[in-house]
Amino acid sequence: MDNPLLKLDGIIAGYGSMTILNGTSFEVRRGVITTVIGPNGAGKSTVFKAIFGLLKLRAGSIHFDGQSITGWSPRRLIEAGIVYVPQGRNIFPEMSVRHNLEFGAVAAANIADLPQRIEAALDRFPALREKADVQASTLSGGQQKQLEIMRGLLLDPKLILIDEPSIGLSPLLVQETFAILKELRAKGVTILMIEQNARMALEMSDDGLVLELGQTRLHGPAHDILNDPRIAQLFLGGAMGAAA
Amino acid sequence: MASFMSLVIAGLATGAIYALIAIGFSLLWQTSQTINFAQGEFVMLPAFFVLAAINAGAPFWLAALIGLVISVIILGAMFKRLLVDPMLRHGVLPLAIATMALSIFLRESVKEFYSAEASPFPSFIPGTTIGFAGISVSLQHVGVVLVAIASVMALTALLDRTPIGRQMQACAQNPDVARILGIPVERMIMYTFLINGLLVGIASLLVSPIYLAKFSSGETLGLAAFIAAIVGGFNRIRGAIAGGFLLGIADNLAAAYVSTQYRGAVPLFLLIAVILLRPQGLFGKAEERTV
Ligand SMILES: Nc1ncnc2c1ncn2[C@@H]1O[C@H](COP(=O)(O)OP(=O)(O)OP(=O)(O)O)[C@@H](O)[C@H]1O
Ligand SMILES: [Mg+2]
Repeated sequence: MDNPLLKLDGIIAGYGSMTILNGTSFEVRRGVITTVIGPNGAGKSTVFKAIFGLLKLRAGSIHFDGQSITGWSPRRLIEAGIVYVPQGRNIFPEMSVRHNLEFGAVAAANIADLPQRIEAALDRFPALREKADVQASTLSGGQQKQLEIMRGLLLDPKLILIDEPSIGLSPLLVQETFAILKELRAKGVTILMIEQNARMALEMSDDGLVLELGQTRLHGPAHDILNDPRIAQLFLGGAMGAAA
Repeated sequence: MASFMSLVIAGLATGAIYALIAIGFSLLWQTSQTINFAQGEFVMLPAFFVLAAINAGAPFWLAALIGLVISVIILGAMFKRLLVDPMLRHGVLPLAIATMALSIFLRESVKEFYSAEASPFPSFIPGTTIGFAGISVSLQHVGVVLVAIASVMALTALLDRTPIGRQMQACAQNPDVARILGIPVERMIMYTFLINGLLVGIASLLVSPIYLAKFSSGETLGLAAFIAAIVGGFNRIRGAIAGGFLLGIADNLAAAYVSTQYRGAVPLFLLIAVILLRPQGLFGKAEERTV
């Protein structure tokens, strides 16, 4: 792959003495959506934590946009153009929606036009504009996810790491969230996404990546992975493939 | 009525000091789940740093400055590094117990190595009494209130208006979310410990001229701050301020109108009333954490 946006090379990392990532290597193409699938406990979320500097690497290197980012702090990574949207609820429920957005940029370098960016973002999500000045805890699950994505977008990222955005959302909201991601791709943002909703995610993705026991099992065009009989049996059939 | 007003002003002075101590107490809780049972001793100790510096020949202003710096270093940074960080790995409760042990250690050390007697402590503000509209007011009490209010205002401005302060708030609300926003959570927690070191130092400079510097004075102060923090809602700075003032005034009025003997019981009555009627505190919110 020439000139990937993100490149992991032989990552070894884990929790305490437990090794989860066992020499994980892969590259992520620019401007595409790559979906990561794999069994529970394969280390998908752990890879994201490792990329985002939340987990110390025991070995291996990570390159982003041509430079080594191995060992960088989250703050530096944000400034370099990476944002991370973890699984679950990652907002300040007691603050207003607007404050949540402002806090998204509190650690990053000064963004002079932050107020304008917030206005523009609120224009894009009318449901959030309606609730801009009320507590974020009043948002629905889907709206909270949108708020998190929006908060990351204020920083004008090159790469978004998003972990199971569809979890707990109604099918309609899943569609809506995926539509936002496609919109971002159209603007040139690269998206690396973990999804249990594998079939639906791969259908809208360009690339697919299968992770197992902390290693890359398969990596290629999403269509090939969708059509791979072994994968279909392992990850796309049964409960996992059903629209959740 | 005039004496009632004087009592209220004296109560405000006591309350302002309680508020400073309670703010630090609740800051530590919010950012790092530290229940610092040595907070009272943390207020007792800086006075002795100052006295030691004076004994070594430093003028009072310099000694006061030295006292503040040492309390930021020892009661802020070293407290976190040497006690909180290692203990917190074992849980909130072991840490709380360790701070209880620390309080005994500090109290007994001062008694052993400095003095078991109360030592007079100099003041920046003269102890004269002024008459104002028929009310006699101690200048010292007024000064204490003003200094404490200025400190609280400076702190809230820091928390609300500066990027550092806002990052500290984010850490208090949810450290995991703060981390993914790129906020250096560990550093922010350290800042709250340094701020607590400064707050207890200031409180020590304010309280010691009134109540003298004594090894045992931390017991009452620590309990009062603890109660003020709970009364105000453990998780709010505004609550700690209100709780502190409320307690200070109740304390002074009770001493005058009820009985000095039962004075010590007033905070406890207040505490029980709040726990029964409004367990989340006057300003607190159940289950939520915020500055
Ligand atoms: N903070 C942690 N401390 C210790 N072990 C952890 C921690 N987080 C995850 N693990 C373990 O690491 C392994 C990989 O977890 P990870 O969250 O990366 O899996 P995953 O592929 O994202 O799975 P899922 O599909 O369930 O989200 C699991 O065995 C998990 O129990
Ligand atoms: Mg996961």
